Amino acid sequence: MNLERLPNEEKLSLCRKYYLGGFAFLPFLWLVNVVWFFREAFVKPAYTEQLQIKTYVKRSALGVLLWVAVLTTWITIFQHFRAQWGEVGDYLSFTIPLGIP
Amino acid sequence: MDLLSNKWIINLLVCCFYLGKWFSSGAGCRHTLTCVRCNSVEKKIYVHLNYKIPCVRLLNATHQIGCQSSLSGNVGVLHVLESEENLDWVLRSGPNPPYMVILEYRLFTRSIMMKLKNGSGRVAGVAVVAPNTNPAAGFSPHNTCPNENTGVYTEKYDPTMAHCNVTVWNPLGNGLSYEEFDFPIFSLKDDNETQVIRQCYYDHNHVVNGSAPQYPLCAMQLYSHMSAVTDTATCMRRNDINFSLNPDMVCDPLGDFNVWASTRPINNTAKGHKNGESVVIAAARLDSRSFFFDIAPGAESGVSGFVTLLAAAHALRNVTQEAHLNRTILYTFFQGETFDYIGSSRMVYDMEKNQFAVDLDNVHSVLEIGQVGLRPNSTLWFHSDPVSRRNNSVNEEVCVENSRKLEIKTIFSATGLNVSVEEPGFSQPLPPSSFQRFLRARPIPGVVIEDHKSAFTNRFYESMYDNGEYLNISYPPNMTPEEQLEHITDTARVSKVSKAGPPLSTFYFFLSVTQMLYSFLVQSNNSWIQQLMTSDYANHLTDRPANLYVGVAVQQSEPTYLVQHLLANLTGSTVNATQDNCKNQRMDPDDKDSKHLYYYFWVQGAAPPNSTERQGFCVRSTVRLSKALSPAFDLHQYTSTDYSTWTESRWKPITGRIFLVASHDLEMLTLGVGIGILLTSLLLTYFFSSKAEILFSSGREPATATY
Repeated sequence: MNLERLPNEEKLSLCRKYYLGGFAFLPFLWLVNVVWFFREAFVKPAYTEQLQIKTYVKRSALGVLLWVAVLTTWITIFQHFRAQWGEVGDYLSFTIPLGIP
Repeated sequence: MDLLSNKWIINLLVCCFYLGKWFSSGAGCRHTLTCVRCNSVEKKIYVHLNYKIPCVRLLNATHQIGCQSSLSGNVGVLHVLESEENLDWVLRSGPNPPYMVILEYRLFTRSIMMKLKNGSGRVAGVAVVAPNTNPAAGFSPHNTCPNENTGVYTEKYDPTMAHCNVTVWNPLGNGLSYEEFDFPIFSLKDDNETQVIRQCYYDHNHVVNGSAPQYPLCAMQLYSHMSAVTDTATCMRRNDINFSLNPDMVCDPLGDFNVWASTRPINNTAKGHKNGESVVIAAARLDSRSFFFDIAPGAESGVSGFVTLLAAAHALRNVTQEAHLNRTILYTFFQGETFDYIGSSRMVYDMEKNQFAVDLDNVHSVLEIGQVGLRPNSTLWFHSDPVSRRNNSVNEEVCVENSRKLEIKTIFSATGLNVSVEEPGFSQPLPPSSFQRFLRARPIPGVVIEDHKSAFTNRFYESMYDNGEYLNISYPPNMTPEEQLEHITDTARVSKVSKAGPPLSTFYFFLSVTQMLYSFLVQSNNSWIQQLMTSDYANHLTDRPANLYVGVAVQQSEPTYLVQHLLANLTGSTVNATQDNCKNQRMDPDDKDSKHLYYYFWVQGAAPPNSTERQGFCVRSTVRLSKALSPAFDLHQYTSTDYSTWTESRWKPITGRIFLVASHDLEMLTLGVGIGILLTSLLLTYFFSSKAEILFSSGREPATATY
């Protein structure tokens, strides 16, 4: 789909859908929203719906950053302590590496 | 044009998919693939090792022992170690670490191995060249105090005897088998292949006057990646987690089957206590081990004992069938005793839980035959447990058994052998023996017969040199296998005299002993054994000495089924049953009960002189198998201190190869040039495609296709 050909109201509604969808633990929707609507929100000349789009894009970006922070922290902790946690570590793992603790 | 490129992409994807599949599904497939695609190139680069025996990882409740390589194999520049001083090149001064160290057997000592182990990543692996003849000095990679913590002598039983305080049984033990190495260690045979490796080293890597050798250098890669890690509890837990994408097993418990038979048939279907039954357990151990995975000849530590017991059972067959003895002899052959008494602890456990044909109340006493590979003119020692002998009734029984010494001596001298029989001092504890597991349950009277008074006389306990050569199983040169089979060796003559009294038909007796020794220590695939086997097992016979390593519980090992069939033939009788009835465990179609008492084997038999068709027959005996899997695995107590918890890791295919490596600089240069070419080609393509209209517009209509 080409955003250029879409009327402004539909752009807004699409951006809102992606923004709301992201709350269902789908940070990638937010990421797509940010990438896809960045130009619309910050580069294009002003139009009425742009303010709302700008808000959605900013919040989506914030959400993505939050997710990245949380996931990075967890993955670091998990990778670092998995072997020490022993049983718990194994049950939390989806694939257990062979031949290392 | 477009269609063609699509096709190519699909082809490529399919290829990648198959490649991935081949690689993930193991060496066999990978091999076929390489043979089809890049046979010649691979052959030009690599020389594969044919004969290599790895050291593998074993785990118990608290530790992991053994060796492993990284997933993609360990690569190192070859270095043939000439002496201990030469280690400095490997550990410090050598300019091309990591090194793959080639060791002569005489340098395979604890001090060198521990230095290599702590070599801070400069050691990629070790290959030990095994000698063709045994070394003169003793060597035992086992502990000094075998099965220290699972025998009867604990702090609670008698603090003065715990941890081999009184007698160190295996003083030569250096404990290497119980060390953990984070690099692979392989054993190679001293033959042409090893010569190729040495030549490669001397051509490319040899250090002259301390100057660094020039590239290309000869390198070796060893793969022995182990899946299990840490300890048994961890690996058994990981076995059970099966929600992952590839539910791989990582380890298996060690175990096999105990073999047992009774002189009087005992109902094996009804388990538990048998009223009025009193059994004397005559025991021997079936297994052994060495530092390396599948080379465990165990001649003195295993074969000498169980062949003696088999021979005794054979000699006693007629006596026990004719005379009515008031006690039953239960011949038992325990598996996995090397690894904390797997077999005997399981049998005692089964007796306690009423899961065996008799229970502990039925056991009158135990007589165990340990290491008895006597040299001529030596002494047999009757060991007993001083702690349980403080109890009067136990002491009396032991004394009765010991008082037979004189009779035994008479028998020995009757057969022309000068062997004396003695008792070690009253204060000495039992040597490592299965009997200890019975004592752990209750004070049963018993003796353990050994050829040593205190420390083992065996200089190669649980090592690869405890072989036929060590037992003096030697044959005059130019003998065919058939002649060797019939040749009565000195060992057979010396070590085997039964405890029973009747005059033995000495020649046939020696013959069966010598044939048994030949089968276990030289090769099991011989005409005598083939006659005594069922046809399913006859195909499994091998042309090399039996491997007495117990192995994992999922399969029956060679010594188990050999002893099972031998015992059946030596103690059982031939009955007149058809092949069909015999295989269905009955004498005739109406016979419903005898399967509870007897086990029937349809053995192959011999072929008559002018025929190739074997004439099989039915052997009826009381021989049975019982599980030799540590109770810890049934109870899921993987941190048990009472029972064996040994498991063996699973592994990826074990291979090794040698090849020449170029210097790091040359490798980087090649890579750099490759990347350079790739980038140039990308740039060129971009240039061509952006200027396509100018470059290719010579009078042709521009493309009008729309997408």
